[in-house]
Amino acid sequence: MADPTFVALSVLTIASAIAALELRSLIYGAIALMGTLGGIAGFFLLLDSPFVAMFQIAVYVGSIAVLILFTVMLVRRELIFQKVEDTRRKWAGIGLMLAAMASLGAVVISSGIDAITTAEPAVDFRDIGADFLTTYWPALIMMGLVLAGAVIGAMMLARREDIENDQRTS
Amino acid sequence: MVDVFSTPIVVMMILGAVGMALPVINVLRREQGSNTFYAAIAFGALAAAIAFVLHQLAMGYVSATDVLSGDVIADDMLGSFFAIAMLIVAVFTTISSFSYMRGKKYPAVYYSLILLSTIGMVMVAYSNDLVVLFVAWELMSIPTYVLVGFNKRDPASNEAAIKYFMFGALASAVIIYAISIAYGLTGTTDIGGVIAGLGAIDASLVPLALLSGGLFIAGFGFKMGLVPFHMWLPDTYEGSPPPVAALLAAGTKKAGFAAAIRIVVIGMAALSIDWSLALAIIAVMTMTVGNVAAIMQKSISRMLAYSSIGHAGYILIGLAVAPYSASALPGTLLHVLNHAVMKGAAFVAIAGLVVALAATHIEKLRGLGRRMPITAIGITVSLLALAGVPPLNGFWSKLVLFGAAIDAGQEVFWGPWLAIAGVLNSALSLAYYGWIIRKMYFEDEAKAPRVHEPRAVVAVMLFSIAFIVGLGVYPEPAIEFARSAAPLVGIMP
Repeated sequence: MADPTFVALSVLTIASAIAALELRSLIYGAIALMGTLGGIAGFFLLLDSPFVAMFQIAVYVGSIAVLILFTVMLVRRELIFQKVEDTRRKWAGIGLMLAAMASLGAVVISSGIDAITTAEPAVDFRDIGADFLTTYWPALIMMGLVLAGAVIGAMMLARREDIENDQRTS
Repeated sequence: MVDVFSTPIVVMMILGAVGMALPVINVLRREQGSNTFYAAIAFGALAAAIAFVLHQLAMGYVSATDVLSGDVIADDMLGSFFAIAMLIVAVFTTISSFSYMRGKKYPAVYYSLILLSTIGMVMVAYSNDLVVLFVAWELMSIPTYVLVGFNKRDPASNEAAIKYFMFGALASAVIIYAISIAYGLTGTTDIGGVIAGLGAIDASLVPLALLSGGLFIAGFGFKMGLVPFHMWLPDTYEGSPPPVAALLAAGTKKAGFAAAIRIVVIGMAALSIDWSLALAIIAVMTMTVGNVAAIMQKSISRMLAYSSIGHAGYILIGLAVAPYSASALPGTLLHVLNHAVMKGAAFVAIAGLVVALAATHIEKLRGLGRRMPITAIGITVSLLALAGVPPLNGFWSKLVLFGAAIDAGQEVFWGPWLAIAGVLNSALSLAYYGWIIRKMYFEDEAKAPRVHEPRAVVAVMLFSIAFIVGLGVYPEPAIEFARSAAPLVGIMP
């Protein structure tokens, strides 16, 4: 019998993910996304990774979801989306998703993954930090470059060209 | 720990420092324009990076290809081989942008993103650890999402960026799923460790190992443009600025192959898992779909996009028969290098067409042989090389690849069929390449005036012609280099 906490978290995560996609209002969609991200934090807690769970809450639920909310409120909605309804594609997408989930799930469930146990304790966050500064230091630098590239690119894309420079600074 | 003065780290430092400095210089100079200034700085950084990689190779500081070294980054021949191919493509992109970006906004951001993406590609080729590989993959991808949508006011560019971003994000998700399964089964992210660990797992877990391998192929396959993961590719290449299309078609695509060689092929041989028939089927599907669809295109950039899907199929032949033939991986590497130059040159020529004629429709190419003679010769040579016409470089790499497939026939019945499919597809591709050449040289009724060819494009054309013809007439050094860079894969009995 499955763990009730796991079932509850799964229902919360999947239901709010569907809601985030399907809700007409972007604001409610963003709030539903917070539910999904929070549910994933719950999975990390179940997996004995409290550090990753806290990070998930602080970074994703705390800042990224709030950032999305702010963006939605600041941008005029009618400028972004033009609704196109295509029922056949929708059902094809849902069918494809169910098929993918069923086949992936079948592989995982039928394998002997339950038999894997580890006696190692949960990883200490000090070890994670130490790893990033020793073994994985090139990855740390690259992550810095990824973030820098993302910020530079986003600023270029988001910059409005219909406003003159002096207006922007004043 | 990785040595600070190893090749990948120094390349990352050079390109990263300049890539970060460009936007800062832009802010300090308080101006938008002067495209040439930023292009020259970016070109200098890329030239320095190539010079450093070549220096390390010449001095013998680069070790033989080794995924089992245990370091997160391997300073080895395989990485250096891909690094050279990718840096050449980045140089092509930068030089052709000298003319393409003239008068356009945000040149500093543009070149900065090209440099950052180049670091990502190079590091994918060198990485020996799944975490580093994934971070490098993102560093390669995220700047290109912005570059594809760089023409903000152009709906085609916006559409290209959205499609590319959606599929890119999906590919990243698939790769991270594959990584998490591999890590869950083996408890390590070191590629050598994963391969060794998967070799020793319990029989009941083998389906999961296969799932992980399949997800890796799917994730990398998105970037490589393998059928059925190719839907985004034609729209993206057509909508993005042509120099960026060169970077995607000749650069990021090859990073997918680099990653696939490190993980899938070496892992496949080490585990004796038979993925090769699946890869062979994908290879045949990919080359056939690419070449058949290319025939029907009206725009030269779309045609080249489909042709690059076809070439992904040829390259995949090498990966499919790698466990059965010693010349398969050298052939793959050789074709990766050749295709990078051939396809890069073709897309740079399109950038020249866009600048000079503002057109990519094939009908507009009429009389190009007289109107833009050097660009037309560059296009002709690169198209003939893509088709595999001797004595150009594309002929040799296809010869080695198809030869490896015939070789593999001693072990697997379908080996020679791969070679036959490859030859038939090459013949098919000659039809549409020949059609373009005919338009350029034999259909010229309008007598339109000669146009000025952008100097930057002419420079790339001359270099590419020299490269394609040079390695066609004297291919030994390139074949030797590819052979020394190819990892030794245990040949299956």
